Amino acid sequence: MSETCKVSVERRGDVAVLSTDGYINNQGGEEIAREAYVELEKGVRALILNLQKTRIVNSIGISILIEVLEKVMERKAVLAFCGLTPTIDKTFRIMGLAQYAAIYPTEEEALQAVGATA
Amino acid sequence: MSDSAIRTSAGVEGLAKAFSALRIEGDKPLPARIAAAALTLAGARRVAIYLRERDRWQLAFDSDPGSGPGDPPDRLLDAAVSHRGLLWVPLEAEGETHGCLALEGLEDDGPTELAAGLGLIFGAVLAANRLSRLVKDAEFEIKARLLELESLYDLGLSLTGQLDISALADEVLYRSISLTDAGKGTLLVFGERGAPPLSRSVGGDILPPEAVRTWDLPAGEAAINNDAANVPTAGVQLADCQKCLVVPIAMPGRRLGVLAVADKESRDGRVLDFTPADARLLALFANQAAAAIDTTRLHREALEKERIERELELAAAIQRQLLPRELPRLAGLELAGSTLPTRQVGGDYFDFFPLSGGRLGFVVADVSGKGIPAALLVSTVHAAIYLQIDASETIVELVSRIDKHLQRFSAAHKFLTLFFGVVEPGSGLLRYVSAGHNPAILARRSGQIERLSATGVPLGLVPNGSWTEETVPFGPGDLVCAYTDGFTEATNADEEEFGLDRLERELTSDLGLPARELSDRLFRAVAVFAQGMPQYDDQTLLIVRREPNS
Repeated sequence: MSETCKVSVERRGDVAVLSTDGYINNQGGEEIAREAYVELEKGVRALILNLQKTRIVNSIGISILIEVLEKVMERKAVLAFCGLTPTIDKTFRIMGLAQYAAIYPTEEEALQAVGATA
Repeated sequence: MSDSAIRTSAGVEGLAKAFSALRIEGDKPLPARIAAAALTLAGARRVAIYLRERDRWQLAFDSDPGSGPGDPPDRLLDAAVSHRGLLWVPLEAEGETHGCLALEGLEDDGPTELAAGLGLIFGAVLAANRLSRLVKDAEFEIKARLLELESLYDLGLSLTGQLDISALADEVLYRSISLTDAGKGTLLVFGERGAPPLSRSVGGDILPPEAVRTWDLPAGEAAINNDAANVPTAGVQLADCQKCLVVPIAMPGRRLGVLAVADKESRDGRVLDFTPADARLLALFANQAAAAIDTTRLHREALEKERIERELELAAAIQRQLLPRELPRLAGLELAGSTLPTRQVGGDYFDFFPLSGGRLGFVVADVSGKGIPAALLVSTVHAAIYLQIDASETIVELVSRIDKHLQRFSAAHKFLTLFFGVVEPGSGLLRYVSAGHNPAILARRSGQIERLSATGVPLGLVPNGSWTEETVPFGPGDLVCAYTDGFTEATNADEEEFGLDRLERELTSDLGLPARELSDRLFRAVAVFAQGMPQYDDQTLLIVRREPNS
């Protein structure tokens, strides 16, 4: 796992997939938020956060993800997570993220669920 | 309509307008929305919003950010005041000032009823917003504490089933960093059986590997260093961090490792102090980790022991298959042969081979080493003898062929000693080759003893070994006894060996017994001598006697 979190973005029609690599802490969370807000400004209707290469999320990272989720909901868009480790999955459920954002095992399942077009 | 009714109607209308204005551009931050609403309602040229955070003013929004209006006046208490050409309106609710509105360019610069109304409305909005944030933060904190408890519980559960120490270390480190909001961390665990320590880090190594040995911390207690983590913390040298928290991983009387996290993060990018609560949490985690590491190692050792036991059972089964199930019956000869295996399977082997002309071949062999490798080598020798015995003219030729076979097919550093004899009743001779084996005992009918010493080197030991065949008379009533060193090297509680002399005495003390009974007597003698002490080598003994009247 890299020391600083890197975020890559891939567009699938009007769905943006943000893939993280590294620790989602303050820096990682800010990086995700920055990319997410750029995509929301561009008018995507769904954001998928693929955390397959992330093993750690701290409380600051979670609070930033909650902010992103609130922003997504304000925009009437959808946020989904995929590729979570069992530990992060449970963390998201306890911290309330899973209440408003669906969690899928794989990116393919998340894309299918949000109805992404090619 | 009365003046009062008109004012009330205008007030309600103003209130409605104020709240409606707040909804415009709803995705903007609240201060910006309040400012926009105030601009519209008050007809000001410029508006700035200050928020009261930790008893300090913070400019949250300015419609003309080029020239800051400066801090609100000190005399701003509970009413709007004019100051530096602006009207400063406190935003209050429930007697607490939550913010301040600075308006410029109003037609009437003095305090107005409208300004006071805006102060009340937006003060209430700010208070509600702050309360909402406090509730959210409190809810977040409660969930974070729940997460800590769940993590401790999960760690206990998931770690008990974990067999991979590396995966276990990762799990402990990731959760420790996550729950303390640390920016980095290192976990060191003592290597098993002298292996180097297992080291796991996130954000760079903050502990050198030698810290696994050198830490000096009270058992179960954490050390906090919020001042200068790059100096040793309780004897642990750290590097590349500002603040740290170090905790030992230990079981009573045993060090298992050490865990350090560093540089606790805040939302605004500052490095926060670690708190006693952080230390308690990490110490709890370390206790769980110590128990889990210990359990994992014990579990692995148990599985390894189980695997070895299965291997030994298999080796023993291989050996049992190779030993003669029943002894051949030959006119004029009396035979006995037995093996007493130990728990650790060795490489003893004996067999009889009826040959043409009423002759009898017999062998006793002892392979170096134990377990599966020894059992497999015995199997190889067994096969080689059966394959080569008919094609060999002499015992030396047979032994040479077996040696070649072993040199070619057996693993390096494996060898065996062997005594191979052929009794010829017709000629009254015993021919033999001893490849580095313990001296066999030739007991004459008269009770006289001869030792049949080695006539060559062990098989498989050196290339191009050579052996000679010896011949001794073997008359009616004579007996030859071949055995393995597990018999003569059986030890008692005083670590005294049974020995060849004692074996010879026991053999000749009742030489007239049938071969089977004589063999049993010798095994009993060894058992009595050993006084129940565990033996670590198989005991094998073979007897061939020429019947007195043959």
